[in-house]
Parts: sequence; structure tokens; C-alpha cells
Amino acid sequence: MEPLSRKERAIHLLNRFAYGPRPEDLDMLLEQGEKSWLEEQLSSAPEPNRALTAQLKELETLDLTPHECFEYTEADQENDGSEEARRKVRERQNIPRQQLSQALVRRAVEKERQLEEVLCDFWRNHLNVSFTKGNQARILISDYERTVVRRHTLGNFEDMLMASAEHPAMLHYLDNHLSRKPPTEQELRDVERRVRRRTGSRSQGEEAATIAGQKGLNENYAREIMELHTLGVDNYYKQKDVIALAEALTGWTFSGGSRGTHAFEFRKDMHDFGDKRLLGKIFKEDKEHPQAQGLAMVQMLARHKGTAAFVSMKLARFFVADVPPPSLVKRLTKAYKKTKGNIPSIIQSLVASEEFWSREHYRAKFKTPYEFVMSAFRALNVDISDFSKVHRALMDMGQPIYHCDDPTGYYDTAESWLDPGVMALRWEFALGLAGGKVKGIEIPPNYYDSLPQEVPRLWQHYLTEHIVPSGAGKRTRNALSTITNQYLAKARVPDSRVLGPELVGLLLGSPEFQQQ
Amino acid sequence: MKSNHSPSRRDFLRTAGLTAGFTLCPSSLALSRSSFSWTKKKPGSLVCIYLRGGADFLNMIVPYRDDAYHSARPTIGLRKEDGVVELDSKFGLHPGLSAWESLWKSKKLAPVVMVGSPHTTRSHFDAQDFMEFAAPGDRSVRTGWLNRYLAATQKKGASEFRAMALQKLLPRSLRGNYPVLAVPSSMEKKRGAKTLSRFEEFYGVGGGVMEGDESMMDRDGDVVVKSGKVTIETLRRYQDLLEKGKSSVKYPGGNFGKKLQSIAKVLKSGSGLEIVGLDYGGWDDHAGQGGVEGNHHTRLADLGNSLKLFCDDLGPVLDTTTILVMTEFGRTFRENGNSGTDHGHGGGMFVLGGGVRGGRIHGKWRSLTSDGLYQGRDLAVTTDFRDVLAEVLHGSLGFEPPKGFFPNYSPGHLNLY
Repeated sequence: MEPLSRKERAIHLLNRFAYGPRPEDLDMLLEQGEKSWLEEQLSSAPEPNRALTAQLKELETLDLTPHECFEYTEADQENDGSEEARRKVRERQNIPRQQLSQALVRRAVEKERQLEEVLCDFWRNHLNVSFTKGNQARILISDYERTVVRRHTLGNFEDMLMASAEHPAMLHYLDNHLSRKPPTEQELRDVERRVRRRTGSRSQGEEAATIAGQKGLNENYAREIMELHTLGVDNYYKQKDVIALAEALTGWTFSGGSRGTHAFEFRKDMHDFGDKRLLGKIFKEDKEHPQAQGLAMVQMLARHKGTAAFVSMKLARFFVADVPPPSLVKRLTKAYKKTKGNIPSIIQSLVASEEFWSREHYRAKFKTPYEFVMSAFRALNVDISDFSKVHRALMDMGQPIYHCDDPTGYYDTAESWLDPGVMALRWEFALGLAGGKVKGIEIPPNYYDSLPQEVPRLWQHYLTEHIVPSGAGKRTRNALSTITNQYLAKARVPDSRVLGPELVGLLLGSPEFQQQ
Repeated sequence: MKSNHSPSRRDFLRTAGLTAGFTLCPSSLALSRSSFSWTKKKPGSLVCIYLRGGADFLNMIVPYRDDAYHSARPTIGLRKEDGVVELDSKFGLHPGLSAWESLWKSKKLAPVVMVGSPHTTRSHFDAQDFMEFAAPGDRSVRTGWLNRYLAATQKKGASEFRAMALQKLLPRSLRGNYPVLAVPSSMEKKRGAKTLSRFEEFYGVGGGVMEGDESMMDRDGDVVVKSGKVTIETLRRYQDLLEKGKSSVKYPGGNFGKKLQSIAKVLKSGSGLEIVGLDYGGWDDHAGQGGVEGNHHTRLADLGNSLKLFCDDLGPVLDTTTILVMTEFGRTFRENGNSGTDHGHGGGMFVLGGGVRGGRIHGKWRSLTSDGLYQGRDLAVTTDFRDVLAEVLHGSLGFEPPKGFFPNYSPGHLNLY
């Protein structure tokens, strides 16, 4: 197959390392050159879009620690039990979540350093936590985004994993904060006796013992670390490893509740002491620093060759193809091992590969709903004044930010999103957005000014060039011509602000725009 | 965790005429096929209505003569003089459900008391997951029980319109390998039909594959085009059934009734629809639940009247239809200080329809004393909810869940059918 042209390479970069091109982006990239663009994308210098940075500063909950966030949501609250008071409490509790979602959308749409945002989305799903967990999630996740995901997204995976393992949001989401050394038979008998004496009821005593028995080791997080965060499902580890890791992680919790500090806490009284064996390696108990055992285990997992291969496969799948070429995965795995999981190095190795640039993978990846919505916003340069509408649209399509119930995070492959019926939602969104029906998300009025007003038959081509610069297929071109003809047959004075939105809506819903 | 979406979805795309040259992974196919390969023995349908939020079943199937009940619920408790529909000497229906009296009398209504999950969680999130995946406490199961049924009974060349949910997102019970149509409500209106028409030329509806079209060169692009095509065709078919269908009753104005009206049209058309999932939200009555008046009553009246009309509308089709009304957990035995109730444990279910052994209360009742209550505060669970699901699958669809269909489960017997 023919190698990609210079223009196609630029389009490919903007599709995979950014949320698609804004109208001016393609020309700018071509002028700047691939290499310098990439360097800029991977640089850790401050974001060039200063206006955005300044606007994000106004979102006062973004940089709060969990505890500050807790105090913020509880401040000025008088709950007299009335419906009105309860509504106010709920509203205030929702602010951190809303501001976080607003910040992430703005960054995805407006930031110059797009790759950082695309990578953050990858890690957010790789190390998923979710507001749907309820309870304290609402005060924990802004901090998680900042101190786990964003802080390390252009750093090392090992650091990110370790940060996630000590973050209240993760410990809460995967129930590790409840995991403790299980009660012994003797302790259970004591509970039973105590309750039976107090209540005089035998069945209540038994019930209390059953409940106490259920409070013990929680394997959930230990399993997911290995299955989802590091080694991949059933790779290298067995059930006994899950138990060993879960035991080592007992007591990794946080100080919650209304009087807590909402910070990580290691609780000796919940910890299961003793030597443990993980993946065949003995980890000695450390009486002085009992948390060290678990830390050493998580670190070993981060450095494991299975992790290098699993994370590399996921990155290749995310950036290149749903079924990534094994040669590419191998290459990335090598880079991972050599740099101890340095993320920019893995990306550089990706860009240096033939597979990344192969025509076979060019615009061959189906956009997730999130990517679809963000790329539509960028292509149209929209002004967003009501971010709840963005949340609603993502909700409708099944991918609101930080709302994935499943610890797998949202999937990034086509088959996860191509259920019958799904396309209809995209079409409705496309027609609504282009037609100005979504109050609070608007296409700037001058968007259609650059069209050659005198030659309406060319409008579809100009708009295609903006929205799908890789070009539209014959069927799409024909369909757009049909609409143009229908319009011109009835319009006395063709108006680009009437036909334009129609064409844009159809382009956003076209098969071509679903691909990146 | 099993990989979620792979082969059978591809297999579906293939049987639906979307041959795109995929290779199928044999091992996972074996899991969805041979281990549970069953043929459906009976033409029937199941409409599964989920009351989100933990509905207070104690105020739906009411022990209206129980003194302990009344002292625990001094303001929201219901008595005979409040209009409770007496079912027997012990239980009555909330006045909001009075429309169901005739269903009870014609033995089409089977309430199940003290049903719930063996898991003790009081979190909506966990409890709904566990119930809809029908695997309490087991987080490795990520497919819904209804989807597992569809996957286990799938046949080549069968109707691709076996199941649907009348909402944008599938309920968890319908998520999994088998592709299920989610119908956004806008697709039921004229505007929806217009949207589909606008895109038909783009997605090749009514035309063949265009040779030599450069946009069709890569095979993933192909899948997008064909998924769009299936979307248009199935939704059209649905819209067509709605258009041709007639209602023999007048439904109330709310959203729920409207959706039931659409479901009835499709069921009456005999198009082979087996499973419908429908959520009804808002049952988390921490405050303002009320008794004869209040939010709970308003919702119950809508639920009761709409479902009664739905049964009337179905006519003889009701004989082969089962309606299951469920929720994730019951609520606290005692009312709280806000005229509401908090998250509890044991709840209830309603099984409604033809073939059901109705007109009697199912499930074992435990007294509402400190000894009979769970942890002294909630209704106990005497029936595992999977007992109901298993009997409903068998009774309505002729499908006997094989061992392993519900992980770590030993069947109990209710005799619902």
C-alpha cells in the first residue's frame, strides 16, 4: 500500500493525538512540521493557551484536596429537613463533579497540548474510578484526576499506579477501604455470645456473627490491580496471588466520614500481618513499616514484564487499531521495559514505528462517544456556555466523564459501541448541534462566512474539507449533493446559514466522521 | 473479568448479514454457546420492569392488620379504611394499586413477599449490579441475566429483534454479548423517522454496496456503514410496527404509560419480540414518601393504572406474556423522621400475566418482630430473587436455566406457574 502523504500524516496525528482538527489546525501543523509539533505535544512546559488556564482558575473546586472539597460541599449548609434545604445540599454537593467535567471538556476542546488530554483519557479509563460509586466519590475524584492521572500522564506508569493505590478515590471505588483481617472463629463466637446475651435472641446472635464474618478480606481491589491495571486477566497470577495481595493491602484505607481527614491512612488494626507470597516471590512482614510490604508488591507489579506487555497492548489498541499488530506491541513493550514505563518514551517509540503510519490504520478507528462529541466541538469551533448540556449529551450516548460503573473503564474498541440503535443517537446529536437546537452550545455565527457565498454548489466541499479533511466517500458526496439540490430547487436566494447547518449536521453523522 | 463484548456480537453482525471477514474466537463462543445451548420451547414474552431506587414493597403488599407494622409506621402506615385492597386476611394492596384488584381476582397477579438478595449491601449501585447480573457478591460477572438468556438461546437466522429496551441506555440486565436494541424515546416520534431518512443515503439503505468507493476500502469503515444500516432498518421496523399497531385502551399521559403502549403494539404484532426491559425511576423515598397521599402513592397509581391498561390492551396476548416488577432492595421497616424510609434489605416482587399461579401470595412471611426482622430493622429475605427469575424464565419462555447460569446458586421452589 502507498505510504501516507504529508497531509494525510498530519491528519492522522490530529485524529489520534488530538480530538480531531479545528478548522485552522491542519494548515498550522503542516506549516510547523510534524517533528516540532510532536515535541511541543510531549513537552512539559506550561500550556500555551493562557486564556484557558486563566478561565480554569475560576473553577474553585478543581484544585481542592478531598478534605477541602468536603468542607466546601458542607459549607453554609443548613439542613432543616425541608425539600428546599435538601435540594440545596444536593446542588452544592454536585459542584465539584460539575466543575471537573467542565474543566475536562474545556481542556479536550481548547487546549493546545492535545496529546496530554488524549493520554489523560486513556489513563482515566485504565485506572477507572467513578462518581456512580456514590457516597464520598464526589469529594475524591477531582483530586484523583489532578494528583494521579494528570500529574503522571507524561511521567512514569509506575508512579501513577503507586499514586492510585494510595488514593482514597481508588480505595473507595474498589472497596479496599473496608478490607481487613477477617475475624477468627473465636472472635466470631465472641460476637455471637455478646449479642445473644444482650438481646436474649439466639437468631440475632447468629445473624450478628454472620455479618461480622462478612466483614473481612475484600479481594476486589487486589484482583483488579492485577487483572485490569497491570498484568491483564489471568496472566501470571492465580487466585492465591489475589488473596496474598489482598492480605498485604488490608488496612490501606482513608479517614472518611464527617469527622475524617479524607486522606490516605494505613490502619494497623485492620492489617493482616505476616509474610506473603506473590507470583512466587516472598515478601517479608515489616513490623516497623507494615505498609512497605504492600508497596513493594505493587511496585513489583508495575515493573513486571506482563505489565509492560499489557499496558503496551492497550496503548497500541487505543492509538492504532482495535486489534493491534503484535510487532507494534512488542516494540512498545521493549520501550516500556527499557524506560521503566516512561510514557513519553513509549509514545516516541509508537511514532517511530511503521505500523502507526500504515495506511491500513489510517482513519480506521471508530470514535468513542466522547471522542465523537469532542471532535465535533473542535471541528465547529463551538462556544459552550452550558456545560450541563455536554454532560447530558455524553450521558445519552453512554460515556459521561468519570461515570463508568465498571472497573474496566470505558472501552475504546468499535464493537463496544456499535450496538444497533447507537448510531441514531449520534445522528440526533449531530442534527441538533448543527441546527442550533442545543441551547448553550453554539456554532459561532461567522462559521459559514468563509464559504464562497456565490457558489452554493461548492459549500459541501468546503465544509467537508473542514470537518472530514481526509475526504468523503462517493456515497456521502452523493448524499450531500442530493440535499444541496433539494435546497437549491426551492430557495430563491441561497443562504449559507440555512443550507450550511444542514450540511454540517449530515457531515457530523456521516460514516466518515465516526472514524478517526 | 471476562472480555465483555467480543465474539457473539461479531457473530450477530455476521448473522444479520454483516459479513466483514472477522475471525471468531472459538473459546469464548464455546462459553456462550455450548455450555448453555438451549432451544426455546415456548413462544412467550417477558416484560421486565425495574423500579430504580429500592421501592418500598412493604407499602405495596401491605400487612394492613399487623399492629407491629402500624406502630413502626405511624404516619405512612396503611389501614383498611385508607382504601387498602384486601387480598386476604393478612395482606392488601396499596390503594394506588387498586386497579389491580381485578387482576388478582382473575388470578393473574402473583405477589411475592420478602424476596431479595442474599447479599447484605445497602448500596443502590452494588445491589442493582448484583441483581441485574444475577450474581450477588460476584463482581466478575458482567453480563445481565436477560442477555445471558438471549445468548444461550440464539439461533442463526432468528429474528434480530428479540429484545429491546425503551430507553437510551440498556438496563444492566440486558447488557452483554447479545446485541439488544435500545430505542431512544425520540425515535418513537415523527422527528425520529425524519432523522433516519436523512441518513439513509449515507448508510446505503435501499442500495447495494458501491463498488470502487474509496470510503469503503477499510473494513472497519464497512462495519460503521453497516451498523448504521442495521440501526435504520431495525428502528424503521419498530416504527412501522408502532404505526400499524392499534391500542384498544387509552393510556394515561405519563411517560411510563406511553412506553407500555408502544410495547403492547409490538407484542400484539406477533413479531417475535421476547424480552423488553423498562426502567421506572424515583423510588428512593427517603423523604415525603407518604401513605395514602404522597410521592409513593402518585408513582404507584401511575404504575398500577398503566400496567392494568397494558394488560387489557394485550387482550389474549397476555396469556403468553409475563410482566415482572422488581427493585434492588426493600426499605427500613420503620419510617424515618421525614415521612420516608431508608435503604433496607428484604423487598418484594410482582409477577403478572397469563399462566401465572395468581390470586395468592407467594413466598414465606416472617413476623415483623425484632426476631423476625433482619438486623432488627429491615424485612428479612426468605426467597432468593433468583428463584423468581428462574421460574419466570421457565414459565414465560420455556427456558430452564442450566447449572451455572446463576453462579453459586442453589434453586429454591416457589411454584409461580
